[in-house]
Amino acid sequence: MTRLLVAALLIGGVTISGPLQAGSQEQAKRLHDRLAGVPPTPATLATMATAIDGGDAIGAAYTAMESEHFYNVTLKLFAAPWTNRDQSVFVPFNDYIATVIGMIRDDIDFRQVLQGDILYTGDGSLGLPAYSVSNNAHYEAMEAADVNLKTGLVQSTQSSVTGLPAEATAGVMTTRGAAKSFFIAGTNRAMFRFTLMNHMCRDLEQVHDTSRMPDRIRQDVTRSPGGDSRVFMNNCVGCHNGMDPLAQAFAYYNYEYDADADPTGENGRLIYNSSGQLDPDTGSRVVKKYRINANNFIYGYVTENDDWDNYWREGTNALLGWDNSLPGSGRGAKTMGQELAHSEAFAQCQVEKVFENVCLRPPVDGADRAQVTSMVNSFKASGYKMKQVFAESAVYCMGE
Amino acid sequence: MKNVLIALLASVALLNGCGGGSDTETLPPSNQQPTDGNYNGPAPATTDVQRFKLNLWDNLEAVNRCGACHNTDQAPYFVRDDDINLAYTETNPLVDLERPGDSRLVVKVGGGHNCWLDSDTACAETMTQWISNWAGGTLGGDGNEVELTDPVIREPGASKSFPLEPDNYINTIYPIVREYCAQCHSDDAAIPQSPYFASADTSTAYEAAKSKIDLDTPSRSRLVVRLRSEFHNCWSNCSSDADEMETAIQAFSDAIDLTEIDPELVLSKAVRLTDGVVASSGGRFEENLVALYQFKTGEGNTAYDTSGLEPAANLTISGDVEWLGSWGLMINSGKAQASTASSRKLHSLITATGEYSIEGWFAPANVTQEGPARIVSYSAGTTDRNFTLGQTLYNYDFLNRSSTTDRNGEPALSTPDADEILQATLQHVVVTFDPVNGRQIYVNGELIPLTDIEAGGTIGSWDDSYALVLGNEVSSDRQWSGSVRLLAIHNRLLTPEQIKQNFDAGVGEKFFLLFSVGDLINLPRTYVVFEVSQFDNYSYLFAEPYLINLDGAALTDSLPIEGMRLGINGKEANVGQAYGNLDVTVDAGTSLAEARVLSSLGTLVGLEKGPESDEFFLTFERFAGHENVYVEPIPVPPGPPADQDPQPDIGMRNFAEINASMSVMTGVATTADGVQETYLTVQQQLPSVINIETFLSSHQMAVTQLAIKYCDALVEDSSLRTAYFPGFDFSVSANAAFDATGRSQIIDPLVENMLGAGLATQPDAADVESELNDLIDRLTVCADGCDANRTRTVVKASCAAVLGSAAMLFQ
Repeated sequence: MTRLLVAALLIGGVTISGPLQAGSQEQAKRLHDRLAGVPPTPATLATMATAIDGGDAIGAAYTAMESEHFYNVTLKLFAAPWTNRDQSVFVPFNDYIATVIGMIRDDIDFRQVLQGDILYTGDGSLGLPAYSVSNNAHYEAMEAADVNLKTGLVQSTQSSVTGLPAEATAGVMTTRGAAKSFFIAGTNRAMFRFTLMNHMCRDLEQVHDTSRMPDRIRQDVTRSPGGDSRVFMNNCVGCHNGMDPLAQAFAYYNYEYDADADPTGENGRLIYNSSGQLDPDTGSRVVKKYRINANNFIYGYVTENDDWDNYWREGTNALLGWDNSLPGSGRGAKTMGQELAHSEAFAQCQVEKVFENVCLRPPVDGADRAQVTSMVNSFKASGYKMKQVFAESAVYCMGE
Repeated sequence: MKNVLIALLASVALLNGCGGGSDTETLPPSNQQPTDGNYNGPAPATTDVQRFKLNLWDNLEAVNRCGACHNTDQAPYFVRDDDINLAYTETNPLVDLERPGDSRLVVKVGGGHNCWLDSDTACAETMTQWISNWAGGTLGGDGNEVELTDPVIREPGASKSFPLEPDNYINTIYPIVREYCAQCHSDDAAIPQSPYFASADTSTAYEAAKSKIDLDTPSRSRLVVRLRSEFHNCWSNCSSDADEMETAIQAFSDAIDLTEIDPELVLSKAVRLTDGVVASSGGRFEENLVALYQFKTGEGNTAYDTSGLEPAANLTISGDVEWLGSWGLMINSGKAQASTASSRKLHSLITATGEYSIEGWFAPANVTQEGPARIVSYSAGTTDRNFTLGQTLYNYDFLNRSSTTDRNGEPALSTPDADEILQATLQHVVVTFDPVNGRQIYVNGELIPLTDIEAGGTIGSWDDSYALVLGNEVSSDRQWSGSVRLLAIHNRLLTPEQIKQNFDAGVGEKFFLLFSVGDLINLPRTYVVFEVSQFDNYSYLFAEPYLINLDGAALTDSLPIEGMRLGINGKEANVGQAYGNLDVTVDAGTSLAEARVLSSLGTLVGLEKGPESDEFFLTFERFAGHENVYVEPIPVPPGPPADQDPQPDIGMRNFAEINASMSVMTGVATTADGVQETYLTVQQQLPSVINIETFLSSHQMAVTQLAIKYCDALVEDSSLRTAYFPGFDFSVSANAAFDATGRSQIIDPLVENMLGAGLATQPDAADVESELNDLIDRLTVCADGCDANRTRTVVKASCAAVLGSAAMLFQ
């Protein structure tokens, strides 16, 4: 067997081609490789090449996206890192990933990803364990059976499947997968930070602005880390002043799990304090984690409700391009998700993520940036359809 | 038990003494032994006279303290020893038992009148404590009873602020301090002495010097005063040295432009911290103190024990330890340690009661130190102690030597790991021990629920030869980094109520700052009042503003207040405007006799010139009829980023794409027997990123493994292989199977399915066929005839050679 292996390696080593001018066949091959992740069948290749020759490269790209692997491979890995704190692609399939895949497949306005009452589950005919609010078995069974996600996902609503009140649903943020990663323990700021990273393409350092008012920074944030208030005044305040008033939108959510018997929360569930459901510790709908470590700074903000305000509409983060038709404040995660999803940064972020996914590199020069701008405009103009962004990016990078 | 305590107090209180003096500059004798403390006059007439004698008179009558003059030589004769009752009468006008800190005796020694210690502050604190002890239970007023008085009315003026860069300092003041002060006031000195305004690092030096420089009145700069009035290590003649320093500071100040106040602003009047009304920090429960450290001295190498209980267990500071302007020590690496002799009082007073409490305000520098790192310890080294409060990561550890522990006080009682009780922020910590409950830990006024195995133990085995130490072990090998704002040791159990009381009392000096807004609404003596304290060396805490009128007047019109901002030294503070969103309306007719709270929030404002000089004011977007709309500058979009280096146009397939591609290329399902298992095994060894520059040999190993598995599944499944390699007879021996037809039946499907036809970006088909032919040649040479399985093996090898190659891997 060793000899066989060596032979295999040898042949692997001699078959690298040099750069070549690409014809429609090669362009079609690359379109398919990049979009579906697998090589095309001869018939598909021929169809696509013909379309390219006929001036319809976008049509060829849509043909490539007919492959089940566009969903099972490309989109699955596209969304997987968004669903965990390590941003790992090696995570079990879950309802967050499924919902992103389903929304792209069905050309749903992608801004719903942060606000919609939407959920994708496996088709009832597949013989899967039923969706459960307290485990991930339904999706893990789909992955184990390598279910065709192009046909196997069915659109539904969170309110009908998980029982979350419709007004409390906020797209992927209120899926079980997101809750397990970002509402678990802590202070719920993780949900905001990772949403910002995954859907606005910015970590907190990029939105750092110490000039915003610090009046909504909660009591748990120490004002003198290690006894040195300069750290707070120069660093902490610059993120918390904008983040805390936005993350207040999650004040009624928690991920409930048995920290002793199930420390990673495999069998935990998302909970939401509806009207009249009071947290025993706060005596209000606000979950306890919003009031922890109050003595770190007793003069800090005490969360009383889930009202949120976007302080970043002014100052340097006004450049994120907020939607002036929205009020910039509201109640709960749904409207806060809408605020984020309607920003220019959200559209830009989706396009840049797709560009990098398909072109295998980030935009690097003026031509790339102009292409991104053009794609952002068509993304917005065509109702925020992600497949279109995939198609346009793939065509841009299919070679000449 | 109380009798025992009083006896002990009396015995230790009379051990020593220092001198007193008078306005007529009769200097007290120094280094004189205290008197024997015997009092032979008439007995105290009342219990209060008895308390006076025990707590104050016994401490003052020594001939190297007040007794040197105020016995018989110099009025008032408050330490006369002929009749304690007459001394009591003489003393009463000199003390304020409600507010001991305001007592004439305190003011005099605090002002430098023959203080018997090196620090006037320490003398004042000690005197305050003695008077407080005398007052005992009659004390305890809270901060709400402070009487507000009108401050000096200042117009917010143009002011100077320290420039960001140290250049100006380097050119003016630094040459002098570097030459004359660097032997001590530099972090690279043999015995470093903070502040490090002469540090070799000019940025460090500049930061440290700011609080010692008065930009508005250079002669009031601490750097000048220390030379001119306090004769602190002058290098030639103190007067001329002070002049030289003042000239340099003047030059430094002259180079700084005034910050003019924007005339559009709606302003309150201005105040400085020193104009504020001191908020009583009373309300602390200190009935059973045996040692108290408030760290008010602010300089020098001694942290004074101001418990008033002699002998004072003063701590000698060594290593990299800084004083905090907000009162406290910041221990970076070093310690503060008492002598074993003065520490002995802890042993005697605590073993007498059998119980004690250690109370402190601590701010650990981080949550990574362990050892436990010693916050406060009464010990002899790493293996012998009476008690230790330490830190291990997020936990407080409490070790106490008792009849149920070893001599090291182990096992320690620790706060639970998961709760992360200890935070790197200022916390009030109390640990208590008593024989019934054993050890208990309170943080921020709350008992941490723990069960102590020490319950039922006693502390009779304590050793009286140990030393009290702060920030490290006495052996200097268990460093703790952090700030200590207060340390109190009590020889009684503090009750939960008393602990809560002390927590609520807070730490440090607080002021009420009254910002006059009367002229904005034509209602004199109307103020916005803030509770203000110096938060640490770098900022002020402003909290809980309210509106009040000192005449008790009512508003004639409704008063809208919007957008209140804090100003400092002529400009609005850049960071910390927590009241910028304030929007309240106080109704017409509202009486302002009582505080009308504006906000429950607090915020930090950066310290600039120091608490003596920084001038604060308020601005409003709207106050009554006055308006100044705050306009946010519109941010300018950044220009396009610089172009990056060109990046590879092609990449690898990632793990999932490889798996799916192999499935597509072979027709074998990803879920086929053995395939899925192998995939899951090598999944994380396969490429996870597509960047071709990250390709590793380990990636190829995993690719090959998976390729072989797919080809194995393909060839071992008769229907799959028949469909894939139509016409090829797998039952024929390898020697015969791979004739020209056989080879074509194997190689052609592989090339067609795995390379694709006519793709210029794929490996050349002829090259691949040639390689495969060579491979088959080599594999079909069997010395003793090929066995039946050999044919399938050769096909698998040929399949894997193409499947695991760049033809599949690159995209």
